Amino acid sequence: MPLPGIEDIKSVELIVGMEIHVELAARSKMFCRSPNPAHLAFDGAPPNSLVDPVVLGLPGALPVPNRAAVESAVKVGLALNCSIARRTKWDRKSYFYPDLPKGYQISQYDIPLCFDGSVDLPGLDDRGQPDPERPGRRIGIVRAHLEEDAGKLLHESPGGGALDGTLADFNRAGTPLLEVVTQPDFRSADEAVAFARMLRSICRFLGVSECVMQKGHIRFEPNINAALTLRDGRVVRTPIVEVKNLNSFKSLRGAIEFEAAEQPARWAHDRREMGRGTKTTRGWDDRLERTVAQREKEDADDYRYFPDPDLPAVVIDDAWLASIRDGLPELPAQRESRYVREYGLSKKEAAALLDEPGTCRFYESTIEELVPLGVAGARAGRLAANFVLQSGQRRANERGVGVETLGITPSALARIAALREEGRLSSQSADELFGFMCEPENLGMDAAALAAARGLLIVRDDAALERWCDEVIAANPKVAMDVTSGKVQAVGRLVGEVMKMAGAAADAKTVREALLRKLTPG
Amino acid sequence: MERRGAHQIAADVASGSISAAAVIDEALSSARGIGRSLNAVLETFDDHAMERARALDAARERGETPGPLAGVPVLVKDNICTSVGRTTCASRMLEHYTSPFDATAVARLEAAGAIVIGKSNLDEFAMGGSGEHSAFGPTKNPWDLSRVPGGSSSGSAAAVAAGIVPMALGSDTGGSVRQPAAFCGVVGLKPTYGLVSRLGLVAFASSLDQIGPITRTVRDAALALRVIAGHDPGDATSSRRHHPDPLEGLDHRVHHLTVGVPRQARGEANRPEAASAFDDALRTFAGLGARIVDLDLPSLDAAIAAYYIVSSAEASSNLARFDGLRYGRRAASRPGESVESLVSRSRTEGLGPEVQRRIMLGTHVLSAGYADAYYANALRVRRLLKNEFDAAFASGCHVIATPTTPGAAFRIGAHDRDPLAMYLEDLYTVPANLAGLPAISLPCGVSTAQGSALPLGLQLIAPAFHDAELLRAARMFESASPHDVLRPPVVPAA
Repeated sequence: MPLPGIEDIKSVELIVGMEIHVELAARSKMFCRSPNPAHLAFDGAPPNSLVDPVVLGLPGALPVPNRAAVESAVKVGLALNCSIARRTKWDRKSYFYPDLPKGYQISQYDIPLCFDGSVDLPGLDDRGQPDPERPGRRIGIVRAHLEEDAGKLLHESPGGGALDGTLADFNRAGTPLLEVVTQPDFRSADEAVAFARMLRSICRFLGVSECVMQKGHIRFEPNINAALTLRDGRVVRTPIVEVKNLNSFKSLRGAIEFEAAEQPARWAHDRREMGRGTKTTRGWDDRLERTVAQREKEDADDYRYFPDPDLPAVVIDDAWLASIRDGLPELPAQRESRYVREYGLSKKEAAALLDEPGTCRFYESTIEELVPLGVAGARAGRLAANFVLQSGQRRANERGVGVETLGITPSALARIAALREEGRLSSQSADELFGFMCEPENLGMDAAALAAARGLLIVRDDAALERWCDEVIAANPKVAMDVTSGKVQAVGRLVGEVMKMAGAAADAKTVREALLRKLTPG
Repeated sequence: MERRGAHQIAADVASGSISAAAVIDEALSSARGIGRSLNAVLETFDDHAMERARALDAARERGETPGPLAGVPVLVKDNICTSVGRTTCASRMLEHYTSPFDATAVARLEAAGAIVIGKSNLDEFAMGGSGEHSAFGPTKNPWDLSRVPGGSSSGSAAAVAAGIVPMALGSDTGGSVRQPAAFCGVVGLKPTYGLVSRLGLVAFASSLDQIGPITRTVRDAALALRVIAGHDPGDATSSRRHHPDPLEGLDHRVHHLTVGVPRQARGEANRPEAASAFDDALRTFAGLGARIVDLDLPSLDAAIAAYYIVSSAEASSNLARFDGLRYGRRAASRPGESVESLVSRSRTEGLGPEVQRRIMLGTHVLSAGYADAYYANALRVRRLLKNEFDAAFASGCHVIATPTTPGAAFRIGAHDRDPLAMYLEDLYTVPANLAGLPAISLPCGVSTAQGSALPLGLQLIAPAFHDAELLRAARMFESASPHDVLRPPVVPAA
C-alpha cells in the first residue's frame, strides 16, 4: 500500500553532489618524511611502523609540506579543468578524535589549491553505459584541495578476535589526501558512478594514486536529495542526506539509488523539507543494502578553522605551473577518442584498453614495437588491440591480473602480430604462440624462432601444400566430385582433412583456395 | 664564585687553561645547589654532561679544534626538546615525557661544543610572565627570594643571574625571554622571527614563538645567536635569508645612531622606578651621541589585546594534541567511559589553571560567530602595528627603545587574583613578537624603591633581520653603562 501522501508527488528529480577523497601515492607523507602507505612500496606495513614525531603529533614536531603531493594535486586539478590558486595556504581544522594525533587536521579552508573546474560526462544509456546518441552532462567542480588523512582505529584485534578497548594505527595518519568537491550536478546514480569511474581513471593515468578501492585509496561521499514536483504544481526539496565513506562503485550506486527511492517516501511521511539544520549523515550497510542513520552530534560542528601558523603560504609561480602542465600525460578521455579516430577501434574496445593504465601502456608499447617491423598506423593499432583484448584479456581474466603482467613483452607480442600480419601464422597459432611467450622459460626468446621450433609457422612450401591436397582429393573422390559439380560448400570436409595432415603449417584459407583451384574449372 | 662569560670559558677550555670537566662539574653542583633552592632547575643531566665534558677534553688533547662554545655549560628551558632527560614544559601533562629528538637549537649548541647540563623551570607551556605557573613550583628571583623572576623563561633567567651558567636558552612568545632577563638583571635576546629554528620548541603560539638566549653580556648573546641562527629545512617558517655574523663588528659603534621612543614608553603605565631608569638609559644614549626621536605608534595601545587573542587562539590549537591518549598524562579510566570524557578529564588533570584559561580564551576567539570580531581584528591590528614599525624604521630609526617592563619584579602572588593585571605587564614586549622583530632586554639600572635592590631592563627593538645591528646598539649601551657587572646581592646558599 502506498504511503499516505505519496500520491501527491507527480515527479521526482534526483540531485546529487559528491565529495571524493583520493589518497595520493607520493613516497612520503603530506607534511613529513615518513613513508606513505598509499604508495605501493609501503602498502601493508605493520601497524604504527610508518610514523615519526610529526605523524604522532609529538611536542616540538613541525610540518613541512611535500612538494610532490602539491604537484600531484595540481595535476588532478588541471585534468578537471580547474583554475589553480597561485597563492594558497594551509588551515587547521580542529576537532578531537583518537585517530587525529594533533587535535586538528591540516587542510585548506577558503583558498583551495584547485577551484572552478568542470568535466563532461558522456551520455548514458539505461544501463549506465556510454551512449553517444544521448546528451552528456557537464559536471561542475567546486574545488579540489589538499589535506592530511587521519589514522585508523581498530575495534577488533588484527586477527579478528574481540578486543578489550580500541587500538590505534597511525600509519595512515598524514597520508596526502585530495578532496574533490563537485557541484550538485548529478541527476542519477549512473551519472555519479560514471564520474567516480572517470575520476579514478584520471588519477591512475596521472600516476598520482593507485586508487585501489579495497584499500580505501578513493572514497566517495554523495550528498543526495530530490526535487519533488507535486500534483498541485509546487516543487519541494527533500533534506540533504550525506552518505559517508563509500569505497566501492557498488555501494555508491546502492546508496544513491536507495536514497532516491527513500526520500520521496520519507517526505510523504514527515513532510520535512531542505533547510538550515536539516542535513543528516548516513552510512551504507553493505549487507542490508540500505543507508543507515549515523549518530549525530548534538551541536553543530565548529571546526574553528584558522591559518596554520607553522606553514607559510604556498606560491605556485608561472614556471612551476608550466612545468607541471608540461608533464601531464594524455588523459584517458583523450586517448579514447584518439584510439577511435586513429585506429578505428570501437568505443567499447577503446574503453576496455583504458580500463587499466598498465594494460594501456602495454598496448601502446606494442604499437611502438610494431613500427620497426613494418606495421604502423591504424593497422598497428587494430592488430595490437585484437591481441591485447583477445589473447591477452582472456588469459589475464583467467589469472585475475593485468595483461602487462602475463609475462609476454610488448616486443614479443609485436613480433607475433607482425607474423600474423604477414600471413605466416594462423589466428589459432598466433594465440598459441602468445601463450608460449607468456611462459617464464620462454622470456627473451625470439617469437619467430619459437614458432618455427613448435611448427606453428605456415609453410610457404607450395609443393607440400599441392601434395597434401592431391592426396586428400585422391582419398575422397566422391566429395571431390561434389565440389567439382557445384556443391562448393562440400570443400570444407576436404579442407579439414588437409589441415589434419598439415598441422599448424597451413592455414585454412590458403588450403581452401588451393583445393578450389584444383577442383573447380577456370 | 667567579662568573666567567661563555666567551671566556670557551677560550680557556680551548687553550687548555681549564678543563671542560672542571667547568661542568662546578656548574652541575651549582645547579643542584643554588639552582634547586631558586627552583630554577628542574633536572640536571649529570652523567651525560660530565661524559660530554670529558670527551671534549680528550678531543682537545688529541689536537682537535674545539668549537666556539667549547665546554660552555648551558641550561635549556624545559619546553625545548632534548633527547636526554625529560621535556616537561613544567606541566603535569608531560611530567614523564621524554623526547626522541633534540631541538635544532640544542643540537647546534652541542655541535658548537656547548654542554647542556639540564633543564630550567618555566611557566607551564611558557604561559605566564612571572614563573609562578609551573606545575613544579614557582621559580624565585635571586635578587629577592620573595619576588618573581619573571617568565616564562624564569629558570633560565634566574640561573644565569645566579651565576649557575653563563648562557641559557629561553623562548619568547610575548616577552618570555626579555621580561625575566629584565627582572633578573641579565641580557635576553628575542631574535627576528624565522632566524632561529622552532623545531623542537614545544609550540605555544607558532607565529610568535622564537627561541632566544639569556646571557650576562651582549657579547655572549651574540655568540649564542651566531651558533643557533640559520635556516633549518625542518621548520617551514625558518628563513633562508643570509644573516650576518653578529660577532663581526659587535664593538663597532652604530654611526649616527637614532633611537626612536614611542610616546607610550614614557606614559603612565610605568611605575616610578621604571620611568627613572628609562630616562637614565635615554640620557646614556644621548651621551653616546645618539639622536633621540619621539615616535607615534598608535597601534601599540591595541597590542596587548591583539597579542592575547592571537597567542591564545594558536595555543588552543597547539595544545589540542595533549589528549593523554598517545603520550602524556592520562586520567585513570572509568569503566564504560567515553573517549570524550577520558580526554576531557586527562586535560583537566594535566593542564594547570593558566593554561586552561588560555585554551578557553583561544577556543572562544576562534569560534564561529566570534572569530571575525576577535581573531580577524587581532590580525588587522598586527598588520597595522607592523606597518607602523616599518614606517618608524624607514624614517631613520635604527632602534626603538622602551622599558622592558613597566616596573621591577613584583612579589610572588601579587597578581594571583587578577590575571588581567599580569597580562598588562607585557605591554612593552608583545609588539616585537606581533611584528616579528628582533628585540633585546639589557640591564639599565637597579631600583631600591621597594626595599631590596631590583634590576630594571631597557628594551631595544630593531628592523627584521637586523639582529646584528641591534646587538651593536645594545653593546654600545652596555659599554657605556656599569650595569653589565650587576650581580644579585643575595645569592642564596647552596
